[in-house]
Amino acid sequence: MHMRRDSPVAALRRAEISRRQTVGNDHDHKNLSLIVEFLQGKGRTNVKLDDIVGLAETMARTLDHSVRHIDVDLHGEFCAITSEISSLRREIYELRPDQMRFERIPEAGRELDVVIEATEEATHEIMEAAEVIMSADDSDPAAYKALVDEKMIAIFEACTFQDLTGQRLRKVVKTLSWIEKRITTLAEKLTSDADAMPISDNETDEERRNREQILHGPQMKGHGVSQDDVDDFFSVSSNQDDIDALFA
Amino acid sequence: MALDLNMPILVVDDYKTMIRIIRNLLKQLGFDDVDEASDGTEALGKMKERKYGLVISDWNMEPMTGYELLKHVRADSGLNKTPFIMVTAESKTENVIAAKKAGVNNYIVKPFNAQTLKGKIESVFGD
Repeated sequence: MHMRRDSPVAALRRAEISRRQTVGNDHDHKNLSLIVEFLQGKGRTNVKLDDIVGLAETMARTLDHSVRHIDVDLHGEFCAITSEISSLRREIYELRPDQMRFERIPEAGRELDVVIEATEEATHEIMEAAEVIMSADDSDPAAYKALVDEKMIAIFEACTFQDLTGQRLRKVVKTLSWIEKRITTLAEKLTSDADAMPISDNETDEERRNREQILHGPQMKGHGVSQDDVDDFFSVSSNQDDIDALFA
Repeated sequence: MALDLNMPILVVDDYKTMIRIIRNLLKQLGFDDVDEASDGTEALGKMKERKYGLVISDWNMEPMTGYELLKHVRADSGLNKTPFIMVTAESKTENVIAAKKAGVNNYIVKPFNAQTLKGKIESVFGD
Protein backbone atom coordinates (compact mmCIF):
# COMPACT_ATOMS: atom_id res chain seq x y z
CA MET A 1 0.00 0.00 0.00
CA HIS A 2 1.31 3.42 -0.88
CA MET A 3 1.87 5.59 2.21
CA ARG A 4 0.98 9.26 1.80
CA ARG A 5 3.78 11.55 2.98
CA ASP A 6 2.88 15.18 3.66
CA SER A 7 5.32 18.03 3.62
CA PRO A 8 5.75 19.40 7.16
CA VAL A 9 3.75 22.50 6.30
CA ALA A 10 0.96 20.47 4.67
CA ALA A 11 0.75 18.16 7.68
CA LEU A 12 0.41 21.13 9.99
CA ARG A 13 -2.15 22.78 7.77
CA ARG A 14 -4.18 19.58 7.71
CA ALA A 15 -4.00 19.41 11.50
CA GLU A 16 -5.14 23.01 11.83
CA ILE A 17 -8.05 22.57 9.40
CA SER A 18 -9.05 19.44 11.25
CA ARG A 19 -8.93 21.34 14.54
CA ARG A 20 -11.27 24.02 13.22
CA GLN A 21 -13.70 21.64 11.61
CA THR A 22 -14.16 19.10 14.34
CA VAL A 23 -15.17 19.29 17.97
CA GLY A 24 -14.73 17.28 21.14
CA ASN A 25 -12.63 14.21 21.73
CA ASP A 26 -12.84 13.12 18.15
CA HIS A 27 -11.08 16.26 16.94
CA ASP A 28 -8.38 16.00 19.64
CA HIS A 29 -7.75 12.42 18.76
CA LYS A 30 -7.46 13.19 15.05
CA ASN A 31 -5.11 16.14 15.62
CA LEU A 32 -2.89 14.16 17.92
CA SER A 33 -2.83 11.32 15.41
CA LEU A 34 -1.74 13.73 12.70
CA ILE A 35 1.00 15.12 14.90
CA VAL A 36 2.22 11.64 15.83
CA GLU A 37 2.11 10.67 12.17
CA PHE A 38 4.16 13.75 11.29
CA LEU A 39 6.72 13.12 14.03
CA GLN A 40 7.07 9.47 13.06
CA GLY A 41 7.48 10.29 9.38
CA LYS A 42 10.57 8.66 7.88
CA GLY A 43 13.15 10.53 5.87
CA ARG A 44 12.11 14.03 6.92
CA THR A 45 15.14 16.04 6.00
CA ASN A 46 13.43 19.30 5.15
CA VAL A 47 11.97 20.15 8.54
CA LYS A 48 12.42 23.84 9.23
CA LEU A 49 12.36 25.72 12.51
CA ASP A 50 9.12 27.33 11.38
CA ASP A 51 7.60 23.84 10.98
CA ILE A 52 8.61 22.88 14.50
CA VAL A 53 7.10 26.08 15.91
CA GLY A 54 3.94 25.43 13.90
CA LEU A 55 3.81 21.93 15.30
CA ALA A 56 4.19 23.21 18.85
CA GLU A 57 1.44 25.74 18.17
CA THR A 58 -0.91 23.01 16.94
CA MET A 59 -0.07 20.75 19.87
CA ALA A 60 -0.71 23.54 22.36
CA ARG A 61 -4.09 24.34 20.80
CA THR A 62 -5.05 20.67 20.72
CA LEU A 63 -4.17 20.08 24.33
CA ASP A 64 -5.84 23.36 25.27
CA HIS A 65 -9.08 22.09 23.79
CA SER A 66 -8.80 18.90 25.84
CA VAL A 67 -8.34 20.68 29.17
CA ARG A 68 -10.73 23.57 28.53
CA HIS A 69 -13.61 21.76 30.16
CA ILE A 70 -11.51 20.39 33.00
CA ASP A 71 -9.48 23.25 34.40
CA VAL A 72 -9.92 26.98 33.73
CA ASP A 73 -6.44 27.93 35.02
CA LEU A 74 -4.79 25.35 32.84
CA HIS A 75 -6.82 26.64 29.92
CA GLY A 76 -5.43 30.13 30.57
CA GLU A 77 -1.90 28.77 30.62
CA PHE A 78 -2.42 27.04 27.30
CA CYS A 79 -3.78 30.26 25.79
CA ALA A 80 -0.63 32.07 26.93
CA ILE A 81 1.60 29.32 25.53
CA THR A 82 -0.20 29.41 22.20
CA SER A 83 0.11 33.19 22.04
CA GLU A 84 3.82 33.04 22.87
CA ILE A 85 4.44 30.41 20.20
CA SER A 86 2.55 32.49 17.62
CA SER A 87 4.65 35.50 18.55
CA LEU A 88 7.84 33.43 18.20
CA ARG A 89 6.66 32.28 14.81
CA ARG A 90 6.29 35.90 13.69
CA GLU A 91 9.81 36.67 14.97
CA ILE A 92 11.24 33.74 13.03
CA TYR A 93 9.45 34.94 9.93
CA GLU A 94 10.92 38.41 10.38
CA LEU A 95 14.35 36.88 10.83
CA ARG A 96 14.06 35.77 7.18
CA PRO A 97 16.33 32.75 7.64
CA ASP A 98 16.19 31.82 3.94
CA GLN A 99 17.29 35.28 2.88
CA MET A 100 20.09 35.08 5.40
CA ARG A 101 21.15 31.58 4.33
CA PHE A 102 20.77 31.85 0.58
CA GLU A 103 21.43 35.53 -0.12
CA ARG A 104 23.14 37.62 2.54
CA ILE A 105 25.73 35.17 3.88
CA PRO A 106 26.79 33.71 0.47
CA GLU A 107 27.03 37.24 -0.93
CA ALA A 108 29.23 38.33 1.97
CA GLY A 109 31.41 35.24 1.35
CA ARG A 110 31.75 36.16 -2.33
CA GLU A 111 32.72 39.72 -1.42
CA LEU A 112 35.44 38.42 0.88
CA ASP A 113 36.72 36.05 -1.82
CA VAL A 114 37.00 38.99 -4.22
CA VAL A 115 38.84 41.00 -1.56
CA ILE A 116 41.35 38.17 -1.12
CA GLU A 117 41.83 37.90 -4.90
CA ALA A 118 42.21 41.66 -5.36
CA THR A 119 44.69 41.89 -2.50
CA GLU A 120 46.77 39.02 -3.87
CA GLU A 121 46.71 40.47 -7.37
CA ALA A 122 47.79 43.92 -6.17
CA THR A 123 50.52 42.45 -3.96
CA HIS A 124 51.79 40.44 -6.92
CA GLU A 125 51.89 43.54 -9.17
CA ILE A 126 53.66 45.64 -6.54
CA MET A 127 56.22 42.94 -5.80
CA GLU A 128 56.84 42.31 -9.47
CA ALA A 129 57.52 46.02 -10.03
CA ALA A 130 59.85 46.10 -7.02
CA GLU A 131 61.71 42.98 -8.19
CA VAL A 132 62.23 44.47 -11.66
CA ILE A 133 63.64 47.65 -10.10
CA MET A 134 65.90 45.66 -7.75
CA SER A 135 67.39 43.62 -10.57
CA ALA A 136 67.56 46.43 -13.15
CA ASP A 137 70.80 47.42 -14.83
CA ASP A 138 71.69 50.93 -13.61
CA SER A 139 74.64 51.49 -15.91
CA ASP A 140 72.52 53.76 -18.13
CA PRO A 141 71.03 56.36 -15.71
CA ALA A 142 68.43 57.68 -18.19
CA ALA A 143 67.11 54.22 -19.05
CA TYR A 144 67.21 53.24 -15.39
CA LYS A 145 65.19 56.33 -14.37
CA ALA A 146 62.62 55.66 -17.10
CA LEU A 147 62.24 52.10 -15.87
CA VAL A 148 61.89 53.18 -12.23
CA ASP A 149 59.28 55.82 -13.18
CA GLU A 150 57.30 53.26 -15.17
CA LYS A 151 57.34 50.75 -12.32
CA MET A 152 56.43 53.41 -9.75
CA ILE A 153 53.31 54.25 -11.78
CA ALA A 154 52.50 50.51 -11.86
CA ILE A 155 52.79 50.45 -8.05
CA PHE A 156 50.48 53.45 -7.67
CA GLU A 157 47.95 51.82 -10.01
CA ALA A 158 48.09 48.56 -8.08
CA CYS A 159 47.39 50.46 -4.84
CA THR A 160 43.95 51.48 -6.14
CA PHE A 161 42.79 48.04 -4.97
CA GLN A 162 42.47 49.50 -1.47
CA ASP A 163 39.53 51.71 -2.45
CA LEU A 164 37.57 48.80 -3.93
CA THR A 165 38.39 46.31 -1.22
CA GLY A 166 37.44 48.94 1.38
CA GLN A 167 34.01 49.32 -0.22
CA ARG A 168 33.53 45.55 -0.40
CA LEU A 169 34.53 45.11 3.24
CA ARG A 170 32.07 47.82 4.28
CA LYS A 171 29.33 45.82 2.52
CA VAL A 172 30.33 42.72 4.50
CA VAL A 173 30.28 44.72 7.74
CA LYS A 174 26.76 45.95 6.89
CA THR A 175 25.63 42.36 6.30
CA LEU A 176 27.08 41.26 9.64
CA SER A 177 25.25 44.13 11.35
CA TRP A 178 22.01 43.11 9.60
CA ILE A 179 22.40 39.51 10.84
CA GLU A 180 23.43 40.61 14.31
CA LYS A 181 20.37 42.88 14.63
CA ARG A 182 17.94 40.12 13.70
CA ILE A 183 19.54 37.43 15.83
CA THR A 184 19.71 39.80 18.82
CA THR A 185 16.01 40.60 18.43
CA LEU A 186 15.14 36.89 18.35
CA ALA A 187 17.42 36.11 21.29
CA GLU A 188 15.80 38.85 23.34
CA LYS A 189 12.37 37.49 22.48
CA LEU A 190 13.25 34.06 23.79
CA THR A 191 13.08 33.62 27.54
CA SER A 192 16.15 33.82 29.68
CA ASP A 193 15.79 30.09 30.35
CA ALA A 194 18.20 29.52 27.50
CA ASP A 195 20.87 31.39 29.45
CA ALA A 196 20.51 28.96 32.32
CA MET A 197 21.04 25.95 30.08
CA PRO A 198 24.48 24.39 30.38
CA ILE A 199 26.75 25.09 27.43
CA SER A 200 28.23 21.99 25.89
CA ASP A 201 31.91 21.77 26.71
CA ASN A 202 32.60 19.25 23.98
CA GLU A 203 35.70 20.48 22.23
CA THR A 204 35.70 20.33 18.44
CA ASP A 205 38.74 19.05 16.56
CA GLU A 206 39.49 22.58 15.43
CA GLU A 207 39.27 23.94 18.99
CA ARG A 208 41.55 21.17 20.25
CA ARG A 209 44.10 21.89 17.53
CA ASN A 210 43.98 25.63 18.26
CA ARG A 211 44.55 24.94 21.96
CA GLU A 212 47.34 22.42 21.47
CA GLN A 213 49.10 24.44 18.79
CA ILE A 214 48.48 27.75 20.62
CA LEU A 215 46.79 29.31 17.60
CA HIS A 216 45.16 32.67 18.24
CA GLY A 217 45.71 34.44 14.93
CA PRO A 218 46.68 38.08 14.58
CA GLN A 219 45.84 40.30 17.55
CA MET A 220 44.17 43.69 17.37
CA LYS A 221 46.48 46.67 17.64
CA GLY A 222 47.68 47.08 21.21
CA HIS A 223 46.49 43.65 22.32
CA GLY A 224 49.38 41.31 21.48
CA VAL A 225 52.97 41.66 22.57
CA SER A 226 55.09 44.07 20.57
CA GLN A 227 58.42 43.32 18.93
CA ASP A 228 60.07 45.36 21.71
CA ASP A 229 58.46 43.09 24.34
CA VAL A 230 59.73 40.05 22.46
CA ASP A 231 63.21 41.53 22.19
CA ASP A 232 63.27 42.24 25.93
CA PHE A 233 62.15 38.69 26.57
CA PHE A 234 64.88 37.21 24.43
CA SER A 235 67.52 39.48 25.94
CA VAL A 236 67.04 38.15 29.49
CA SER A 237 67.56 34.74 31.01
CA SER A 238 64.92 32.00 30.84
CA ASN A 239 64.17 32.51 34.53
CA GLN A 240 60.39 32.42 35.00
CA ASP A 241 60.39 35.44 37.35
CA ASP A 242 62.14 37.54 34.73
CA ILE A 243 59.64 36.41 32.13
CA ASP A 244 56.69 37.18 34.41
CA ALA A 245 58.09 40.62 35.17
CA LEU A 246 58.31 41.43 31.47
CA PHE A 247 54.70 40.52 30.76
CA ALA A 248 53.19 41.76 34.03
CA MET B 1 78.44 30.94 15.19
CA ALA B 2 79.60 33.15 12.35
CA LEU B 3 77.22 34.60 9.83
CA ASP B 4 77.81 32.98 6.45
CA LEU B 5 76.13 34.68 3.51
CA ASN B 6 76.46 31.48 1.48
CA MET B 7 74.57 29.30 3.94
CA PRO B 8 71.33 27.75 2.69
CA ILE B 9 68.22 29.14 4.37
CA LEU B 10 64.85 27.41 4.52
CA VAL B 11 61.81 29.72 4.59
CA VAL B 12 58.61 27.98 5.72
CA ASP B 13 55.25 29.69 5.16
CA ASP B 14 51.93 28.65 3.65
CA TYR B 15 51.50 32.10 2.13
CA LYS B 16 53.48 32.35 -1.12
CA THR B 17 53.59 36.12 -0.97
CA MET B 18 55.25 36.06 2.44
CA ILE B 19 57.88 33.60 1.17
CA ARG B 20 58.50 35.96 -1.74
CA ILE B 21 58.85 38.95 0.60
CA ILE B 22 61.28 37.14 2.91
CA ARG B 23 63.23 35.78 -0.05
CA ASN B 24 63.63 39.32 -1.44
CA LEU B 25 64.62 40.73 1.94
CA LEU B 26 67.19 37.96 2.36
CA LYS B 27 68.50 38.70 -1.12
CA GLN B 28 68.90 42.34 -0.15
CA LEU B 29 70.86 41.22 2.89
CA GLY B 30 73.14 39.13 0.69
CA PHE B 31 71.65 35.66 1.10
CA ASP B 32 71.04 34.02 -2.27
CA ASP B 33 70.63 30.35 -1.36
CA VAL B 34 67.02 30.24 -0.19
CA ASP B 35 64.70 27.22 -0.27
CA GLU B 36 61.04 27.21 0.62
CA ALA B 37 58.41 24.91 2.15
CA SER B 38 54.70 25.46 2.64
CA ASP B 39 54.31 23.74 6.03
CA GLY B 40 56.18 21.89 8.76
CA THR B 41 55.91 18.47 7.14
CA GLU B 42 57.45 19.62 3.87
CA ALA B 43 60.11 21.57 5.78
CA LEU B 44 61.06 18.53 7.85
CA GLY B 45 61.43 16.47 4.67
CA LYS B 46 63.70 19.10 3.12
CA MET B 47 65.74 19.41 6.30
CA LYS B 48 66.42 15.68 6.24
CA GLU B 49 67.71 15.94 2.68
CA ARG B 50 69.80 19.07 3.08
CA LYS B 51 71.62 20.76 5.93
CA TYR B 52 70.35 24.31 6.35
CA GLY B 53 72.19 27.09 8.12
CA LEU B 54 68.97 28.75 9.24
CA VAL B 55 65.22 28.06 9.29
CA ILE B 56 62.78 30.97 9.18
CA SER B 57 59.27 29.69 9.85
CA ASP B 58 55.72 30.92 10.19
CA TRP B 59 53.69 29.50 13.10
CA ASN B 60 50.15 28.94 11.76
CA MET B 61 50.30 26.39 8.94
CA GLU B 62 48.53 23.13 8.07
CA PRO B 63 48.92 20.27 8.56
CA MET B 64 52.08 20.80 10.60
CA THR B 65 52.48 24.15 12.35
CA GLY B 66 55.76 25.96 12.79
CA TYR B 67 55.53 25.24 16.51
CA GLU B 68 55.35 21.49 15.85
CA LEU B 69 58.18 21.80 13.33
CA LEU B 70 60.32 23.53 15.95
CA LYS B 71 59.66 20.76 18.47
CA HIS B 72 60.44 18.06 15.87
CA VAL B 73 63.67 19.80 14.91
CA ARG B 74 64.81 20.18 18.51
CA ALA B 75 63.98 16.52 19.23
CA ASP B 76 66.01 15.26 16.26
CA SER B 77 69.67 14.78 17.12
CA GLY B 78 70.66 15.40 13.49
CA LEU B 79 68.79 18.71 13.24
CA ASN B 80 68.62 20.12 16.75
CA LYS B 81 71.49 22.58 16.31
CA THR B 82 69.85 24.34 13.37
CA PRO B 83 69.15 28.00 14.17
CA PHE B 84 65.41 28.64 14.06
CA ILE B 85 63.62 31.99 13.83
CA MET B 86 59.84 32.16 14.16
CA VAL B 87 58.17 34.86 12.04
CA THR B 88 54.51 35.02 12.96
CA ALA B 89 51.34 37.00 13.57
CA GLU B 90 50.84 34.94 16.75
CA SER B 91 51.70 37.58 19.31
CA LYS B 92 50.18 36.36 22.54
CA THR B 93 52.51 36.14 25.49
CA GLU B 94 51.96 32.39 25.75
CA ASN B 95 53.12 31.96 22.14
CA VAL B 96 56.41 33.74 22.78
CA ILE B 97 57.01 31.78 25.98
CA ALA B 98 56.08 28.44 24.37
CA ALA B 99 58.39 29.10 21.43
CA LYS B 100 61.24 30.05 23.73
CA LYS B 101 60.70 26.93 25.84
CA ALA B 102 60.65 24.81 22.68
CA GLY B 103 64.05 26.19 21.75
CA VAL B 104 63.47 28.94 19.22
CA ASN B 105 66.46 31.22 18.68
CA ASN B 106 64.48 34.35 17.98
CA TYR B 107 60.95 35.55 17.34
CA ILE B 108 59.67 38.15 14.88
CA VAL B 109 56.15 39.54 15.12
CA LYS B 110 54.41 40.24 11.81
CA PRO B 111 54.27 42.74 10.23
CA PHE B 112 58.00 43.29 10.29
CA ASN B 113 60.60 45.17 8.28
CA ALA B 114 63.95 44.37 6.71
CA GLN B 115 65.83 45.95 9.60
CA THR B 116 64.12 43.67 12.12
CA LEU B 117 64.85 40.57 10.05
CA LYS B 118 68.47 41.61 9.65
CA GLY B 119 68.80 42.35 13.37
CA LYS B 120 67.37 39.00 14.42
CA ILE B 121 69.55 37.01 12.01
CA GLU B 122 72.62 38.87 13.28
CA SER B 123 71.51 38.30 16.85
CA VAL B 124 71.14 34.54 16.30
CA PHE B 125 74.61 34.32 14.81
CA GLY B 126 76.10 36.57 17.48
CA ASP B 127 77.27 39.30 15.13
